Amino acid sequence: MTECVVASERLVLLPQRAAWWPAGNTLFVADFHLGKAASFRRLGVPVPSGTTTDNVDRLERCLAATGAGRVVFLGDFLHSAEGRAERTLATFGEWRASRAALDLVLVRGNHDDRAGDPPATWNFACVDPGSVLGPFALVHEPATVRGRYALAGHVHPAVRLSERGGQSVRLPCFWFGSRVGVLPSFGAFTGSAAVRPRAGDQVFVVADDEVIRVR
Amino acid sequence: METVQSYREDPGAPSRTPAAAGGPAAGEALRAAESWFASRGWQAFDFQRQVWEAYLAGRSGLVHSATGTGKTLAAFLGPVAEAVAEDCRATAHLRVLWITPMRALAGDTAHSLAAAVAGLGLGWTVGLRTGDTPPAERAKQSRRLPSALVTTPESLSLLLSQADARERLASVRAVIVDEWHELLGNKRGVQVELALARLRHWNPALRTWGLSATLGNLDEALDRLLAGAAGLVVRGVADKPVVIDTLIPADAGRVPWAGHLGLAMLPEVLQALEGSRSTLVFTNTRSQAEIWYQALIEARPDWAGLVALHHGSLDADARRWVEQGLKEGRLKAVVATSSLDLGVDFSPVERVLQVGSPKGVARLLQRAGRSGHSPGETSRVSCVPSHALEFVEAAAARRAAQAGRMESRRPVEKPLDLLAQHLVTIAAGEGFVEAELKAEVMSTRAFRDLTDAEWRWAMDFVSRGGEALKAYPEYRRVEEVDGWHVVRDAAIARRHRMSVGTIVSDASMDVRYLNGRRLGHVEESFIAWLSPGDAFVFAGHVLELIRVENMTALVKPGRPGAATVPRWQGGRSPLSSEVSDSVRELLEAHIAGRADEPEMRAVARLLALQRSWSRVPRRNELLVEQCETREGHHLFFYPFEGRHVHVGLSALLAWRLSRTRASSFSMAFNDYGFELLSRERFELGPLIRAGLLSPDNLLADVLASLNAAELSKRQFREIARVAGLVFQGYPGQPKTAKQVQATSGLIYEVFARWDGGNPLLAQAEREVLERELEFSRLARAMGRLATSPVVLRGTHKPTPFAFPLMVARLREKLTSEKLADRVRRMQLEFDRASEEPGEDAQAELFR
Repeated sequence: MTECVVASERLVLLPQRAAWWPAGNTLFVADFHLGKAASFRRLGVPVPSGTTTDNVDRLERCLAATGAGRVVFLGDFLHSAEGRAERTLATFGEWRASRAALDLVLVRGNHDDRAGDPPATWNFACVDPGSVLGPFALVHEPATVRGRYALAGHVHPAVRLSERGGQSVRLPCFWFGSRVGVLPSFGAFTGSAAVRPRAGDQVFVVADDEVIRVR
Repeated sequence: METVQSYREDPGAPSRTPAAAGGPAAGEALRAAESWFASRGWQAFDFQRQVWEAYLAGRSGLVHSATGTGKTLAAFLGPVAEAVAEDCRATAHLRVLWITPMRALAGDTAHSLAAAVAGLGLGWTVGLRTGDTPPAERAKQSRRLPSALVTTPESLSLLLSQADARERLASVRAVIVDEWHELLGNKRGVQVELALARLRHWNPALRTWGLSATLGNLDEALDRLLAGAAGLVVRGVADKPVVIDTLIPADAGRVPWAGHLGLAMLPEVLQALEGSRSTLVFTNTRSQAEIWYQALIEARPDWAGLVALHHGSLDADARRWVEQGLKEGRLKAVVATSSLDLGVDFSPVERVLQVGSPKGVARLLQRAGRSGHSPGETSRVSCVPSHALEFVEAAAARRAAQAGRMESRRPVEKPLDLLAQHLVTIAAGEGFVEAELKAEVMSTRAFRDLTDAEWRWAMDFVSRGGEALKAYPEYRRVEEVDGWHVVRDAAIARRHRMSVGTIVSDASMDVRYLNGRRLGHVEESFIAWLSPGDAFVFAGHVLELIRVENMTALVKPGRPGAATVPRWQGGRSPLSSEVSDSVRELLEAHIAGRADEPEMRAVARLLALQRSWSRVPRRNELLVEQCETREGHHLFFYPFEGRHVHVGLSALLAWRLSRTRASSFSMAFNDYGFELLSRERFELGPLIRAGLLSPDNLLADVLASLNAAELSKRQFREIARVAGLVFQGYPGQPKTAKQVQATSGLIYEVFARWDGGNPLLAQAEREVLERELEFSRLARAMGRLATSPVVLRGTHKPTPFAFPLMVARLREKLTSEKLADRVRRMQLEFDRASEEPGEDAQAELFR
């Protein structure tokens, strides 16, 4: 288990690309992008199916490993209105029903604004960015929040690592700065963007089934 | 260009065969053509008469010769003479379709066609339709197409995607495919084959003529164009004598060991320019052209205005200005890329310089042919090597040219991505009945071996999104209505039309001055690396970036100094096997003291050094060098088989080595050999005896190695785009279009993980094998290496042969180590500037 300390709180970073906050009994997940593949298909791009099942399975594994009682989605839970396909919704809905006692919180992000809130039967608490949970401010797009440490998504951060001989590799990462922490994107069908961490930042890359601190 | 006067009713009947064939009217028509020639002081060549007569007799064929030798009129006057013979002075229907590979050529071609039409007294209209055609002109054409239309393969496909395609195109009697050799070797050629099949379906009597430079496989070129029907191969005027020589520095010590710019030769180039009225300086890349232009202007400020720059990323107006200047003899020199390989004559050009490797015999001769058009002159091309081994290449290319060894262009076999695109194109147009279209597609040479399963897959891909069992209810692109396959969703049809074609380019960005003047375009990824205030060289100017807005980089003149030069993505063509064979021959002749070319004398010292440190390989030897530096352990192999084969061989050997123990390799390659760099040392002797170079299991091992090196993932980029999996987007697009943007890398990963059997993945593999690695050439090379003596040399430092590989910046990687183990060793790459922690650094970053 790879751990880190931000805002004097201990976070456990999971290779499934989620962060577990034991003291708050909470799992943080950013950029789930439910229905992205379906919305591609609806618009005429035949992306294979399997990504939603993979997302739900990974989420389930995180919960099994941590026993978290609450999941906070840091924005972009649903990809788009077109992605609200029947089968996709059914897959997540069934999983939700099997975990009915779990608290689900969605911090609305830019995609959610257009895609709309999750179906009411899934029983999400939907909040706007800036809501506070203990020492943390919950946002989607990274932003500093006075008096709180902000947890964000949106960026899909990745860094490039290199070694002598000119080899390099680009990997998704957790990126914790002095006032904002950015989580990697959780969704199976999402890309990433290279970021440039600054001195003093903590950076952890996801290398297959391990999370490794690189700074 | 509108020259419509009066209209007669034109039959325009699809199946009309030439009524005038060979009759007295045809004879009269030919006399009209001849007398027009005479009125301009020309005389028709025999080959032109031969093509006119063949056309009038209803035949198709292929004309080949160097550029600018009357092929245009050979092909066009047949259809025009036929119209004269039929007394069809004006027509409301499209009769002649002229396909050109380059938009830039279309304008000039249309001008010469219009001149011929007017010269023979026809009232035909001649029009243009390319990506550059303004909307007003398109709108006019959508009411009525001209009598003769000059267009590109992409614009022709777009015409096929219109609902009234048949109505507008069925009247075409003649299709002329210009510069067919440029299309033959890539998917655009297949795109033309498919479009021709459609036109022939509507008009079985369609006549097709191809115009081509001389190729090693002319019969195949004809066969492809005519879909196997009989046709004529006509040789144009005999090529004029060509002089191929090389600029040799007075001081051989100035010949650099490595490099690709060739600027060490600047004094010799300046001298060559002095001595010639007008010179074309060809480079191999756009960046190189920009750099050479700057160097010339800096060395000779008095030539400002007399020296110009020409490449494909410059604004069309700027390019036209340069072309005009060349024609009028106003310019002393033009630095150009392949953008000036084709097209109209520049008669005043006396000499051609080729900076860097000539790569192939045909290419060198094509470029040489741009000079010496005035009567009594010879074409002259002088190579300007950028490093030592390119002197050898220049001499080798000349030997191969003298021996008449000409390269072939290998056509593409059944690209399924293009088939999927074509199905949507036709469905978006008039729609299709499955069995009919299948027969039509299979009538092309490219798809003649299409299997039922492949056809089924393509139909499923466009109609259900995948195999029948995995149908996605939300997916719809092509829908079936009463047995007729159509695209019903207007948004899908529109998006498809935006992405028709097979040319994949990186997202590019306009470069403009603040006053709006457009300079051209550069790749978005290059601009992304710049900050406002940074200087860069583009379009022959030093520019300073002001800001980026609306996909436009706004610039102002910058101060000379540390300016970067944009790099453009794009395939690097390898040394052809004709030239690389010749290089090996020449090296052996040199060792035997039988190569006394000036080029070989220029590099004699370097070759002597190579011999004393290591060895200059004999023609059938494989030289391998091993040495250690601070970077790690280097292995250098020199098969002399051209860059593509070396990419494949390096991945293959790295993969085979990495199977003996967990290791990671960084690979570099050039036209002579390749380098494997690793942290550990490998004892090659025993490994070679154990089969490192064995041709056994070659295909399986190469496939495994290219997956390990992620080569097919890269090739998938083009396939994803052509098959419509990746939509490039356009400025001002609606939000829904943004939702379907994903990188081809991401799409590849999703397919590889959740739909591994998808034929598009197999196609990516096949394309890497055939196009990127030239697998058949690689297999031949492995066959040769397996029986060649291997000469293994340990050296204390990199030899003259090794040096260019060691400094190569473009590298591939291959590893058999666990990712986490490598990560623990690796360093985070970061921006030094951002290392200084500011007060509350993140607050600045995320406000």
